[in-house]
Amino acid sequence: MTAVLVIEDDDRIRLALLLALEDEGYDALGAATAEEGLRAQRRDPADYVLVDLMLPGLDGFECIRQLRRDDDVPIVVVSARDDTHDIVAALEAGADDYLVKPVAIKELTARLRALRRRARTGVVGPAPDAVPVLAFGELEISPDAGEVRRAGQPVAVTRTEFRLLCELAEHAGRVLSRQQLLQRVWGYDSGDERLVDVHVGRLRQKIEPDPATPRHLVTLRGLGYKLQR
Amino acid sequence: MRRLGLRTRVIATFAVGALLLAASMALVSYELTRRSLIDERERTALRAAYFDATVVRAGIDTDTPDVVEVLRSLDTGGGRRPVLHLNGEWYGRNADPGITTAIPADLRRVVASGEPAVQRVLVDGQPALVVGVPLSPTATFFEVNSLRELEQTFDVLALALTTVAVLVAGSGAALGWYATRHGLRPLTAVADAAEKIAAGDFTARLDPATDPDLTRLSSSFNQMVDRLAHRIERDRRFAADVSHELRSPLQTLAAAASVLARRREHQDERTAIAAGLVADEIDRFQRLVNDLIDLARSDQPAHRAPVDVVALARDACHTLDLPASLVRLAPDVPVTWQVERRRVAQILANLLDNAVTYGGGPTTLLLSRDGGVGVIEVEDDGPGVPVEDREVIFDRFVRGRAAHTRGAGDGTGLGLALVAQHAAAHTGHVTVTDRPGGGARFRVTLPESLT
Repeated sequence: MTAVLVIEDDDRIRLALLLALEDEGYDALGAATAEEGLRAQRRDPADYVLVDLMLPGLDGFECIRQLRRDDDVPIVVVSARDDTHDIVAALEAGADDYLVKPVAIKELTARLRALRRRARTGVVGPAPDAVPVLAFGELEISPDAGEVRRAGQPVAVTRTEFRLLCELAEHAGRVLSRQQLLQRVWGYDSGDERLVDVHVGRLRQKIEPDPATPRHLVTLRGLGYKLQR
Repeated sequence: MRRLGLRTRVIATFAVGALLLAASMALVSYELTRRSLIDERERTALRAAYFDATVVRAGIDTDTPDVVEVLRSLDTGGGRRPVLHLNGEWYGRNADPGITTAIPADLRRVVASGEPAVQRVLVDGQPALVVGVPLSPTATFFEVNSLRELEQTFDVLALALTTVAVLVAGSGAALGWYATRHGLRPLTAVADAAEKIAAGDFTARLDPATDPDLTRLSSSFNQMVDRLAHRIERDRRFAADVSHELRSPLQTLAAAASVLARRREHQDERTAIAAGLVADEIDRFQRLVNDLIDLARSDQPAHRAPVDVVALARDACHTLDLPASLVRLAPDVPVTWQVERRRVAQILANLLDNAVTYGGGPTTLLLSRDGGVGVIEVEDDGPGVPVEDREVIFDRFVRGRAAHTRGAGDGTGLGLALVAQHAAAHTGHVTVTDRPGGGARFRVTLPESLT
């Protein structure tokens, strides 16, 4: 059974989310504070974490950072705040997706399923053994092994970052628009392009020798992104 | 005609004022100088003529006078030419016929009657002064005084006065320019501050210490900005608080409603109906809150980026379970427009939703252009919109008459208001007309979205 950890300080919202998620077949566990959530995740890691941003004590942003430090569990922010500033900050802290309250349960479970498809075995495209390693200069991507190496050294990327990198690598040298990437990586028909921009930024920090002047993962103004040698 | 600017008007007034003043001063000085010089010249000429006349009278008072020799003996310099009329004959120093014709007949008659006289005439086009002195019943003496030098003096004087007048007028204009520049400098500061504030910088203030005369303006301006900034901040915080406070309980309701909906088959009929009503209203309430928050925010200008509007239109159809074949792109219209994706997506969704709810479903979604203006048109073959409603339907919380009669009102009443506001954010607007053959046609213009 898929386990979901819900970190939400509002008792009623937490209870309602746990009930609804259990109805949808998830094994849901609640935590009222970030500290409690972090302890629970360390003790018994869930498959997904839902985080509210406004939490007493340790706030949601810090909670995301600490969760991200430990592993690559998909993190979804569920917040009533929808300022650009909050959205970008939460994504930069390491969140995989951002949903604004109120979220319909159908929408929430659809997002979780999309994240699940993003698991490393879910890479679409040519048969994995046909392209064991995709090389971009000193950058090597092994879609089937779920590994990224730079100059021979393994690079730690989250599942979403890995999926994004594979999608760009499969279409090496070709431009993918933000909407195409949103659809292929996050499963959105039409979504928030900041999701793509922030993830590309995070990916650059990990794979580019100089993230400010990217060589491999380049932006094409008004068109989208391209991975090149 | 466009009204001239304050600065231009002040400079022109200064220049014209200075010119009028300088010109009248110059004219008066010129006239006074001219008159006194001419009077002086006349007196001098008269005195000299009397003196010469005495010499000539003595010279011709003999039996056989050598008139020419007498005239030649006169010390007249270059400026005076003596002429004698004796016994019906004209005598001059040289054979000079022109000079006698220059002496007007009126003058001759007056002098011949025994009266000395003075008259200004033109000799060979040159100004001159003729003085006539009677010597005896048969002899009259005339002297023609050239006024050329005097006229030259007047010319120089006129030139000097004109130059001064022009210079004074120029100085007046310069003074006006300087005065307005200094006078308007505080207004420039006000304009700069107002521009900054309009651009969203609420830290802009005027320095009340710059000019004591403008302290009142500065302090009331600053007070106004303080209040405005305070009010905007309060509104912003209120909107943020309201959205947060409404969204949080809605999350609980949405999750709880989905739990109820899953258990519909275990509920008795009355409970199921009540649970269905709760779920529907929560859904509507959610949309209402989202529309309200959007409406509160959408008065800012659009953040334009290249957007594939055809794909966006097809997505909008897909979301409302409408066929993508509704979407038509006019010939020679590119698929990529410079617009804000979120806003245009909402325009499309709300227009289609409106056509579904009130127009019996959309018949066409046409994307076309009018020069650089992107045009979105959604048509339906429903009852159309009565002429008197064509403005008000874009106001907030107005719903179609059909909805009232049917009592179904599923919309939030904000859909078309949001369309209008999103169009305005792109400096465009939305109108509704009759569709040829019945139904309504909604037309949204998005200027500067095509280049």
